[in-house]
Amino acid sequence: MMILLYIIFAVIVGLLFHGIHRKVIARIQTRPGPPIWQEFLHVMKFSFKQTWIPKTASKVLFVAIVPAVIAIWAGALYVLFTGGSLLVIFGVYLLHKITEHGLGLSSGSPYGKLGAIRSVLSAASEIPLIASIAGIYFVTGSLMISDIVAYQADHGILLITALPIALAMYVIILSKVPYSPFGIIEAKEIVSGNKTEHFGAFRAGLEVGFALKTFVLLAVFVTLFIGAMPFWMLLIASLILLLTMSFICALTPMLSPYDAVTIQIGVIIIVIIYMAFIAFAGGMP
Amino acid sequence: MYEAMTASVTASMPVSESAYGFTQTDIEGQALFSLPFGDIVNFLTPYTAVLFVFALTFTIIALISKPERQVDTVMGGDAYYTKDISRETLRFQRFMAIACGLATMGGIMAGDVFNFTLFTAFIGITNIGIVAAVKNKHILDNAFEYGLLAMIGTLPLFVGAALVLATTGTLSMWILFTPEVAVPLFAKLLLVIGVIAEGMAPVFVAKAEITRAPGAPYILMVHVSSLLIFLRVIEIVISM
Repeated sequence: MMILLYIIFAVIVGLLFHGIHRKVIARIQTRPGPPIWQEFLHVMKFSFKQTWIPKTASKVLFVAIVPAVIAIWAGALYVLFTGGSLLVIFGVYLLHKITEHGLGLSSGSPYGKLGAIRSVLSAASEIPLIASIAGIYFVTGSLMISDIVAYQADHGILLITALPIALAMYVIILSKVPYSPFGIIEAKEIVSGNKTEHFGAFRAGLEVGFALKTFVLLAVFVTLFIGAMPFWMLLIASLILLLTMSFICALTPMLSPYDAVTIQIGVIIIVIIYMAFIAFAGGMP
Repeated sequence: MYEAMTASVTASMPVSESAYGFTQTDIEGQALFSLPFGDIVNFLTPYTAVLFVFALTFTIIALISKPERQVDTVMGGDAYYTKDISRETLRFQRFMAIACGLATMGGIMAGDVFNFTLFTAFIGITNIGIVAAVKNKHILDNAFEYGLLAMIGTLPLFVGAALVLATTGTLSMWILFTPEVAVPLFAKLLLVIGVIAEGMAPVFVAKAEITRAPGAPYILMVHVSSLLIFLRVIEIVISM
């Protein structure tokens, strides 16, 4: 029961974060922008709009992919709050790639298909990038979130002592926020990419899942690299982290798919050099 | 010899960490379920349980879902057409997708490095089957290339498992995951290379000619299986 309340709270905060993100981007670009509760209104609106399944769609997959998105991120939220294994969060991130792909392929639409192909392409760089959490294991000796928090209490925050790994995680989260320069799977030249054919209640479900995803990823970053803090401070730290990303999103154009992959691979190389340094130095620098 | 070496490894461990006392690691947390067959102990942790449920869900979706009809535009005009799948192709793709799902679940639950490599090889074969079912030159070329890569990938995969056995005297993850047993980094590297080549993700899948192929629930199983088995091998090499 308690976890259900947490999920509802995380969805509301995630949607508000999306709204604040849009507002900040708009103000930087000297536009008035929508109100910060706009994404919440979107979900309410989509929930009551007419919904149907395209004639060309693979019906079961088309529908099942929406609860799958919500379920995996709700699971990730549970793992985060119970101090479970970071490996599960890593797993959920990869499962999210599968849902992105299924979302695009299930409708039969060429726009969805292009979004799905781009999600496969981006997986080639995002997956090794998130595998850099193995670096956290080399540094802290554990992948349990509760142990990592305890490690930071004794040895200082990982944001400073393991900066390259934090950079890799930052790029991962930046890739997943709306209007990201790395958001190639839903670029406007392919309409809304893999989300194109999911409208009405299905879109509302997806927005709920994506709000959960944003909340979880921001909270994971803050917990992993800054450490334990009161819940209200976690929310503020997550918001500050999001605002840094809003600036990048507002000031950077959407990258081409190959540029996006190239930049992410550049970050992977930095992390590999850092991990090799740790391995040869025999411990923390 | 094998039993003797395994016994010597387990005998050197404290009782709480001996072969059947593996309940808690600092990587995956509390083990949820175990099914011992001698020193081979199949098990589920919260991490592998999540992967198992996901593989099961998508296998059921492949079982009950009909394929989509991909819409394509005719170049140089306003017309468009949809691709339909014949009943025979559908049956074969569905069979391969379900076999792929079962192999994935086997790979996730495997408590033995050899069983893991065997299920990974099954995944490679069934993935080729899913792609090769579609009678289109580009897709068949793609399936042929996948076949070559999977065959090449089999070598490091099984050599990795052989090296683990040769250096530690056991293939049981239950024993290999304990701190007393050291697995050479090279063996771990071979296992990862083998899975990447066999499972096609995350590197080879970028050549996504397969997305020309209709049959989303079945094509998706290619990605589900390869990503899940990649997740499993990451867990195995970190834990060993």
